[in-house]
Amino acid sequence: MAPNKELKLTYGAVVVLLIIGVLGYAVAPANQSEEPIRMVFDVVAGKVLFDHKTHASDAGYALSCMDCHHHPSDDESALVACGDCHNLPVDGTFPQSCADCHEPDEIEDTEMLKRGDAFHIQCINCHQDYGAGPVECNECHYL
Amino acid sequence: MFEQKKFIVSHAPFWHNGSSVAERNYNIIVAALPAALFGLTQYGAQALAVLCLSVSSAMIWELIANRATKRPETLGDGNAALIGLLFGMLLPAASPWWLVITGTFVAVIVGKQIFGGIGGNPFNPALIGYGILLISWPNRFDFNAALVNFEFGFDTAFPLWVAKYFGTAELDTFTAWNLLSGQQIGGIGSTFGLGLIAGGIYLIVRGFIRWEISLSYLAGIFVTAFLFNIANPDQYAGPFFHMFTGFTLLAAFFLATDDASSPVNFIPMLIYGAGCGMLTILIRNIGVYVEGTAFAIIVMNCANPLLDRIRPKAVGKVV
Repeated sequence: MAPNKELKLTYGAVVVLLIIGVLGYAVAPANQSEEPIRMVFDVVAGKVLFDHKTHASDAGYALSCMDCHHHPSDDESALVACGDCHNLPVDGTFPQSCADCHEPDEIEDTEMLKRGDAFHIQCINCHQDYGAGPVECNECHYL
Repeated sequence: MFEQKKFIVSHAPFWHNGSSVAERNYNIIVAALPAALFGLTQYGAQALAVLCLSVSSAMIWELIANRATKRPETLGDGNAALIGLLFGMLLPAASPWWLVITGTFVAVIVGKQIFGGIGGNPFNPALIGYGILLISWPNRFDFNAALVNFEFGFDTAFPLWVAKYFGTAELDTFTAWNLLSGQQIGGIGSTFGLGLIAGGIYLIVRGFIRWEISLSYLAGIFVTAFLFNIANPDQYAGPFFHMFTGFTLLAAFFLATDDASSPVNFIPMLIYGAGCGMLTILIRNIGVYVEGTAFAIIVMNCANPLLDRIRPKAVGKVV
């Protein structure tokens, strides 16, 4: 093949591949389903890979949404991430008590939990109750 | 050495046999395609976007470097396309566009062009791109985190991660056949072992890569993993597991065999390949990285000039 023709073909390939690549990024679905499949919690003690679908689906552990999530209206269709409601004050201070934000009739327990405590209690207690699933640190966390 | 056949050279004119750098690069690209296409079927349009952007941006960086240095255009030799393809095959399918473009910049410009272009690179350019990006954005290369939104009919934890953090008791689902047939997550083009082996055999038979490097690399992986495994079977996975997962097969046939960054004589090639394999397992088993292939090969690339000095010295290599 003449070098000139070879070079022209190469330029053509660059343009075609670039167009496919750019279009692919522009229009390809982000593969984000409404309900998470798996989640990675990136925390100081090491990341945690959580298989949301296996916990929630009927073929898996068939937990109901409200077994883990809570929401004032107990409405499964209105579930949001924890931080969407429990957002910290903009001045950077931490509330000292749940009652700093909530009315007494809104909450059962006024003990302040950090997010890590809430997750640990939720996961470990459930795993212990069912006698299945990890309970030790290095059975979930990895660096 | 004394029985070596001497070349018999007749008078000019000579007839060129038609082989060229371009032929070699395009053949390696073709050999890599089965594994890359499998990645496309597994991960879909996102993987296609990553691969296309990776190949095209690598070629554009090459063109820019050619123009900036006022040297002849080398796009036609296919080497930039090959670097782009191999770099793309190492990436998770959900990699963002800026990661791809930055990676091909590092691979083509830093890994190859600043050393003078093809043949001058002391390290495998695709691995330089991958290695620098891995250090810069480690979370982007955590296959578990990068592929959380993909669902397959098999265990979707990265096998090497499971082996490193949870021991061999959790590896039941990762049988040799499952790994070879691509039932594992990983880079776009690194999971389909059968395709990589087929491509590798094609390249060896056609003489485009050296079997000495590929086989000694796999032997290095096998022996080191075997020794770890018999020392502590609960903690360290067996040799076949390590051979068929991660980047092992991609490295054995496509990465470690890069011409400029690997030795040319028989014994040095064996030492180089075995060293790559041994370091890969050392990093995987006792290093901090889950997948040590890239760094193992880069380290052995560093040793390449020394290996080339083992007598008889490599002819024509300038270090």
